Amino acid sequence: MSEILRTVRLDVGYEGKAVISGVEIEALRGQTICLIGPNGAGKSTILRTLSGMLAPVEGTVYIKGEDLRTVKISALSRTMAVVLTEKRNMDMTTAYEVAAMGRMPYTGFFGRLEEADHRIIRECMSVVGAAGLAKREYHSLSDGEKQKVMIARALAQEPELMILDEPTSHLDIRHKVEVVGILSRMAKERGMTVILALHDVDLAVKGCQYALLVRDGEIAAQGRPEDIVQENTITDLYQINGASYNALLGCMELHNNNPISAFVSAGAGRGTPVYRALSRMGIGTATGILFENDVDCCIARSMQLKAVVQKPFTPIGEEQIAEAAGLIRQCRYAIDSGFPAGPYCQASLDLLREAKQVFTFRKPEECRGLYGSASVCFVDSIARLQRELEA
Amino acid sequence: MERNGVKTLFWFGILLVGTACVFLLNVGLGSVNITGSDIVRVFADELFGQSGVKDNAHLIIWQLRLPRAMAGLACGAALAISGLLLQTFFENPIVEPYVLGVSSGSSLFVALVTMGGFTFGVRQVTPLFRFTGAFIGAMLVMAVVLLAAARVKNVVTLLIVGLMAGYICSAAASILSAFAEREQIAGYAIWSMGTFSGFTWQHLPVLYGIVTVSLVLACLLAKPLNALQMGDRYAASMGVNVRAVRCAIILVSSVLSAAVTAFAGPVSFIGLAVPHICRILFHTSDSRILLPAAMLGGALMAGLCDFAARTIVSPAELPLGAITAVIGAPVVVFLLTRKDKL
Repeated sequence: MSEILRTVRLDVGYEGKAVISGVEIEALRGQTICLIGPNGAGKSTILRTLSGMLAPVEGTVYIKGEDLRTVKISALSRTMAVVLTEKRNMDMTTAYEVAAMGRMPYTGFFGRLEEADHRIIRECMSVVGAAGLAKREYHSLSDGEKQKVMIARALAQEPELMILDEPTSHLDIRHKVEVVGILSRMAKERGMTVILALHDVDLAVKGCQYALLVRDGEIAAQGRPEDIVQENTITDLYQINGASYNALLGCMELHNNNPISAFVSAGAGRGTPVYRALSRMGIGTATGILFENDVDCCIARSMQLKAVVQKPFTPIGEEQIAEAAGLIRQCRYAIDSGFPAGPYCQASLDLLREAKQVFTFRKPEECRGLYGSASVCFVDSIARLQRELEA
Repeated sequence: MERNGVKTLFWFGILLVGTACVFLLNVGLGSVNITGSDIVRVFADELFGQSGVKDNAHLIIWQLRLPRAMAGLACGAALAISGLLLQTFFENPIVEPYVLGVSSGSSLFVALVTMGGFTFGVRQVTPLFRFTGAFIGAMLVMAVVLLAAARVKNVVTLLIVGLMAGYICSAAASILSAFAEREQIAGYAIWSMGTFSGFTWQHLPVLYGIVTVSLVLACLLAKPLNALQMGDRYAASMGVNVRAVRCAIILVSSVLSAAVTAFAGPVSFIGLAVPHICRILFHTSDSRILLPAAMLGGALMAGLCDFAARTIVSPAELPLGAITAVIGAPVVVFLLTRKDKL
């Protein structure tokens, strides 16, 4: 793979003052590279420097081996396209006309569009799913639609490198996913290199091949997202308190450190919605007995719940049973999340006899004799559970 | 940028025919009744040099009405394009030479030249000299406004800065007039209300020369003007040399505004209203359509306003500035009230 952009000992900043020092990026053809970091960390400053809008404080940016400062602006416009955060109110202009602006580097003195140009514009609009917007007034589009049109415009420049600053901010989840999807598809199919800043760690990790963590005036880490984004990386990067990033699942979970009063008998992902509901209600939660390879275990750890865990693929041990029994007795009630009752988790079911009161997601016919003398309340939804708990 | 081609052609047709009609009206009608056949005779005389009779009709048509009508065409087009360029430059729909105080800057320097020049020993004020003065004044005020615009992006603030620059220039001009001679003051007073009546065959070549070159230059800026609508950064990323284009815009719009102000005085609001009316009529912000449209529209508007000024209270005459302000000021108010769109 050949190199498109490379920085050497690059310091970026404003008016001779470096905001971020020692930026070393090597962007290859077809790569999607993502900058992750808190607001104000300097992601935009880096992107502006890479795109030539800001002169480097120190060091050099090379585009296809040539010093960016010596690349002609007209030649650069055919190599690189940008999508910025600034919003323009373009009155009396259709989405098609905005996308057509992307052809400027190729059109003649008066910007006359040939049939070939129109074909490219139409194609770029349909690639981003904006073909239906062509005749609409640009200013009447939603934020997500506008962003797609701006990306279509950038694509119409037929760039080898596209630089995007927060292309997904202010977009709803559907458009976020679509925008990142379009970009990584363009990278794969056209061999276009994409460098972008993203807020969403989640999307960044899943949609990009290479990530840079930007923090406190430096690139804190860079590499394959899986290699550099670990449990603590994200909470440290964004200095998050009261929540953890689950690197395996790529999601944020809020901590639940309330005094324990509920025990959730969980497994196979049945526990997770219950954990989250209890966390919202401010009810401290213990859970068990979870196999370490269970998704519920994964989430319980991110939420910092008190969990009784068992090694994967091994029968539940006496020690775990004793610990869980202690917890259940201590709790005001237990919640049976309705996990699949296989032979290996019989112990978890048996434990529920120890509870003072059981809320269960199982159907009454499944539960005959299951909970011993505990008082049983049947619930079929989180809403119902919440009502019962509050009553 | 595929627009509804038929609609565009239709409006161009209307503007062209309208401009031609207004031009003919301006030549044909006035406080003195001159018949069609007399007008034809005057034109035939001048163009083919037949009878050589220089009667009253000849004087009125050839020396008064025709230069005036022709000046109106050029001045209207120049003001409208100047306004269009400035609106793109400042990303602000309510700017034009008059509102920004650029015309006032020109006025002050024209006053300096015409009233002060005599004192400093300049006997003969040539049209080109007058224009140079106007241009220097325009550039000076433009520099002030640019400095202000670099600091504040607010639409209204920019307007106030322009207004203040205008006041200062007018004040300076009135101080000047205190030292001037009586006839000069009278001439200056008429001129400062804006009028196309001062044009003679001596002025027209200068006006047409400057305006034609500037309008051609403006048209050459069509593509970068479109790109600038997306903002400097985007324009640069699409290969536009933003600094050069911005310099060109300032230069061309100042020259246009100065050319008009030098001879016709500060004419308000044509530069503001015409580009907007064209945007709405053609329903586009594509400069390649708006530039020619605004030229025609400006010529038409200036012609109409001058016609109104000459005929409403005929044989007396209304100041041109009064007519254009009555038409233009409501446009500003309208645009300000839909500020969310700015």
